[in-house]
Amino acid sequence: MKRRVVVTGIGMVTPHGMVADAVFDALLAGRSAVQRWDQDMPAPVLAARTEFDPGRWFTRLQLAGVDRVSQMAVAAAELACDDAGTAPAGATAGVYVGTGMGGAAALDQAYANLHGKRRIHPLTIPAFMPNAPAAHVSMRLQIHGPVLTYSMACASSAVAIAEAARAVARGDLEMALAGGSEAQVVPGAVASWQSLQTLAAADCADPVRACQPFASTRSGLVLGEGAAFLLLEPHAHAVARGARIYAEIAGSGFSSDALHLTKPDAAGQVRALQAALHMAQRDSDVTIGDVGYCNAHGTGTVVGDVVECTALRTVWGDAIDDLAVSSTKALHGHLLGAAGALEAAVTAMALYRQALPPALHCDRQDPACAIRLVQPGATVETILKAAISNSFAFGGANQVLVFKRAET
Amino acid sequence: MNTLNQLKDIIHATFDIDPATLQSDAPLADYGLDSLSLAELLFVVEEKFDVAFPQTPDHIDTLAALAALIDRTRSPQPA
Repeated sequence: MKRRVVVTGIGMVTPHGMVADAVFDALLAGRSAVQRWDQDMPAPVLAARTEFDPGRWFTRLQLAGVDRVSQMAVAAAELACDDAGTAPAGATAGVYVGTGMGGAAALDQAYANLHGKRRIHPLTIPAFMPNAPAAHVSMRLQIHGPVLTYSMACASSAVAIAEAARAVARGDLEMALAGGSEAQVVPGAVASWQSLQTLAAADCADPVRACQPFASTRSGLVLGEGAAFLLLEPHAHAVARGARIYAEIAGSGFSSDALHLTKPDAAGQVRALQAALHMAQRDSDVTIGDVGYCNAHGTGTVVGDVVECTALRTVWGDAIDDLAVSSTKALHGHLLGAAGALEAAVTAMALYRQALPPALHCDRQDPACAIRLVQPGATVETILKAAISNSFAFGGANQVLVFKRAET
Repeated sequence: MNTLNQLKDIIHATFDIDPATLQSDAPLADYGLDSLSLAELLFVVEEKFDVAFPQTPDHIDTLAALAALIDRTRSPQPA
């Protein structure tokens, strides 16, 4: 059995807020959420922080042992259900969650206390454990089917969405919540990123513009935090209940570089792109010519952006200019384990609203990144039939998702 | 302030439970505390009273029992 799977609910807890339409509007308008992070750090640092009050979702009593990463996951999952007008429950529903760092705040506090010779909070382990976000979502919604956690760095939640879509397509599940959560903006994690020398220069004149995917002036990524969830259900079920359909998940492709832990590989990315496009054509009649937009992984690192452009050019060949590309990380930062889900949601919304989020902070495009970027203010000239979202991770994990516009 | 009233204040500050509703001999579970929130409460209590409970304090199912444990732990041990 192979069923068509559609996205009928989107929930977001992001640096641009918690209303999906407003988040998309902010991206269309090119508003950056990147700021200086005022924290006592070894060196100045930038981040896209998310304003989040757990009190709307949890009582104080319920918050015992619940890290910020799980709080945001529950909020985004509930928002996705509200948006869809239905909620998955029982044994035929599943929760698929990506996270890179789990409860980073809990672990950070534990280490700080250990080295400061203070007591360690007794709930550090249940707060930190990376499968806690998925478990909390399952408890909140009474989901008794597969409750799974995926951790492959920047691709985590894109993989979660691909796996959830497969389970629904196979008929294993009637409904799934798939997404990711990341709450990594804590001193220990941020300092570790700084030490890896992948972050955008924080001493720039205009921090808001610090993340510059595909620009010759790019200097690295900016960390973000938040959560995003998609509600997935069979197309027939969505139509029967009169649901609003953002997009169909037409295909997905995963590949492993098996080459280097942190250096991306164009050949591996090409394999993921080709696998995703193959599945989309086979199962949903989407051709490469239908794909008009790519929400790029585009973290803004010197190495990564070139490799991704090389992979796209290899797959699209002479038709590369038919593909409009942007990386919304320029505005919301890199949500790591939640990045794939947030960007998948943005890609589905681009199809639903027929509008492309522009590529920002790229005044001078790197000649080595020779792709057609979405210009600010550009409108969709012909109907956007399909779009892809790329997630290329440390560890060599590459996940591409293909979305198809819902028939109207 | 006696230990019991201090405890009620701590529970209010930690879990936002109205101290007026807290009965000293009612099971803590009646107020929604489970094993996780009890662990959190014991941690906060240890910090506030600057005491260290035994590894696994037994029979802490009411406020009165917890107050008694705090008082026992704080008072000098008989020689």
